[in-house]
Amino acid sequence: MSRFWSILFFLVPIMGIVTFLMAMFGVAPFGSAWLPKSLSQSGDTIDQLFNGIHLLSAVILLGTGLAIGWAMWKFDDRHADGRKALYIHHNTKLEIVWTIIPAFILIFLAFFQMKSWTENKMNRPMVTADGEQVPMPPMVMVKAKRFGWEFYYAGADGLVETDDDVYIENLLVLPAGEDIVMQLESRDVIHSFFVPELRLKQDIVPGMTQFVWFNSRESSDDIEVLCTELCGWGHYKMKADLRLVDRAEFDQWLVDQTAQYEPELKPESKSDDVATLTKPEPSR
Amino acid sequence: MAGCEKSPPPEFRLNQVEWIKQERLHLADEDRFDEGYKLEIGSILTALFGTPDEPRFPYLLEDDDPAHDIISLDNLKMAAGAVRSDKRGAPVGLYREHCAHCHGISGDGAGPTAALLNPYPRDFRLGKFKFKSTPLRQPPTNHDLRTILENGIPGTAMPSFRTLPPEELDAILDYVKYLTIRGQFERYLLAELAGLDGRSIIDFSLISESKTDEEPSDDDIEEFEDQMYSVIGDGLQEGIISRWLNPDRKVTKIPPAPPEFETTHQAHGQLVKHGRELFFSKGNCMQCHGETGVGDGQLGNFDDWTNDWIKTANVDPYDKETYQEFIAAGALPPRPLQPRNLHLAVYRGGDRPDDLYLRLANGIEGTPMPASSAMTSDEIWAVVAYIRSLPFANTGATVTKPTNDKQITR
Repeated sequence: MSRFWSILFFLVPIMGIVTFLMAMFGVAPFGSAWLPKSLSQSGDTIDQLFNGIHLLSAVILLGTGLAIGWAMWKFDDRHADGRKALYIHHNTKLEIVWTIIPAFILIFLAFFQMKSWTENKMNRPMVTADGEQVPMPPMVMVKAKRFGWEFYYAGADGLVETDDDVYIENLLVLPAGEDIVMQLESRDVIHSFFVPELRLKQDIVPGMTQFVWFNSRESSDDIEVLCTELCGWGHYKMKADLRLVDRAEFDQWLVDQTAQYEPELKPESKSDDVATLTKPEPSR
Repeated sequence: MAGCEKSPPPEFRLNQVEWIKQERLHLADEDRFDEGYKLEIGSILTALFGTPDEPRFPYLLEDDDPAHDIISLDNLKMAAGAVRSDKRGAPVGLYREHCAHCHGISGDGAGPTAALLNPYPRDFRLGKFKFKSTPLRQPPTNHDLRTILENGIPGTAMPSFRTLPPEELDAILDYVKYLTIRGQFERYLLAELAGLDGRSIIDFSLISESKTDEEPSDDDIEEFEDQMYSVIGDGLQEGIISRWLNPDRKVTKIPPAPPEFETTHQAHGQLVKHGRELFFSKGNCMQCHGETGVGDGQLGNFDDWTNDWIKTANVDPYDKETYQEFIAAGALPPRPLQPRNLHLAVYRGGDRPDDLYLRLANGIEGTPMPASSAMTSDEIWAVVAYIRSLPFANTGATVTKPTNDKQITR
């Protein structure tokens, strides 16, 4: 037992990293704990950033963890042969080192993420209108509310917030393989729009209009749109489905949403005899 | 007593509000119905409809009963009971998981959260549904109820349940119809009480042998059969269940909108203008919705679910003292209706042109919104065009631009 604490401290960084690796490569019981497959180019960029920072954290965790473990092992009191502990303070060289290294790491990260940030939050896709390059107008306006998502599609005029918008709740169908811009607004409190597969996350603040954009490489069955800002008791069920389809299917779907419902009338059947339970004539 | 004990299974609550209302309608001041009727109504309802944990449905003609088209017992069992998974892992107890906290175990619209909501959750027991494709006083189609479950009701606390699998939505839908039919029949039984003069609703002692140790006489048997056929046959099956058959046949046909209804059409402006004229003339919409459509016209109306009991003698909806007894019985404090502000672009029954057409053509059940019998279909379409233009109309007020408006390109 004399080496218990040293071994425990060695184990922390090692177990931590093993756990992460198991999740990353889908090993049970952490098989489904990692991010789902990325569906977009900008999602890949975010993944690179995410993995890069994780790698960096792993190196630091391993380095510091092993250093602490080694120190505990080496200077364990029971194996110290009567050597006295030293009280050390104020080492200017050491302090400069541990200030400058993290500073460089942070500066490195600031530059490392710049491309991803500009792509995802600043450089909205552009379109040419009247011979001029303008930001792409949103295809869908998203109104977050407690507890659901309202989607308003631009109708024939290609603009949202006009009287031919097509409204649908909790189902977002979008074309894959093209740039899509969405306008986000809140009806009440702060919400956050999150699609894990697209690595797309944006807080929605009441009174502010936000824009998000993405370009999905491939179509997909229903994936989840989640609210990631605690917005009240029903936060856990504030979900919508996102379905990515090809352009032709999308156009047809949008038309179907405004189409008139035609009830399927069954052929004349037993159901038409309504007065069936009446008192039989007395047979006496 | 709260604590470690398992709570007893929930029960359907008697419609006490209707009970008191019927007493006040038919009896002298201090008279009350015999409390024994509560037990009898409870037994009849349990015999026909079961309990919240073990639902039943009166398929009186067994396998041939057309009521199988209205409600499937498998669906009821999936929606009823406590929230859990069955042996195959399929979810059970859907109504209690998703609906009961607002709509109540009995479908009375008075669940634990109900009093906090505005508007109140729907009380199914009157059998009235607002947003449907069928005319007034007709039950909604499955498609109508399904649309509400999928889209929710914007502007209210009713959320969308679109992310649930279709078979779960079907189960919830059938359970809503089950609670409605049960509630309607309960109201029918309560309305019968005044005419009974102390007799049982269905007098089983007529055919019981224990009374006289003799075989029941033919007259008694006939009397008993009359009671059965009157209550179950006429009251329940013909009066209530048969009305729910084939609502799809009664769906209002929506004629196609005129070409200028498209906002991109050249003459769209004229159509909107025509709609505005109708809003003030034939449609008479401004009477409630106000001249500018902000909903500041005639106020002080109540909906049918409130009118149902506040019209009782000596009740003043603005004087709490006069209706205290109803509140104690489970009614929610009456709230006057607010005609819709048409500038908000929030349409509870859906904002597709067809939805708005139906609201105008058929009216809205349970509210003062009437069916527009005076207008032709083209005129209705014109009013729809006008209403849809209102949220985007320039009201003359200065609109503050959002702080990041430079990013917004139109």
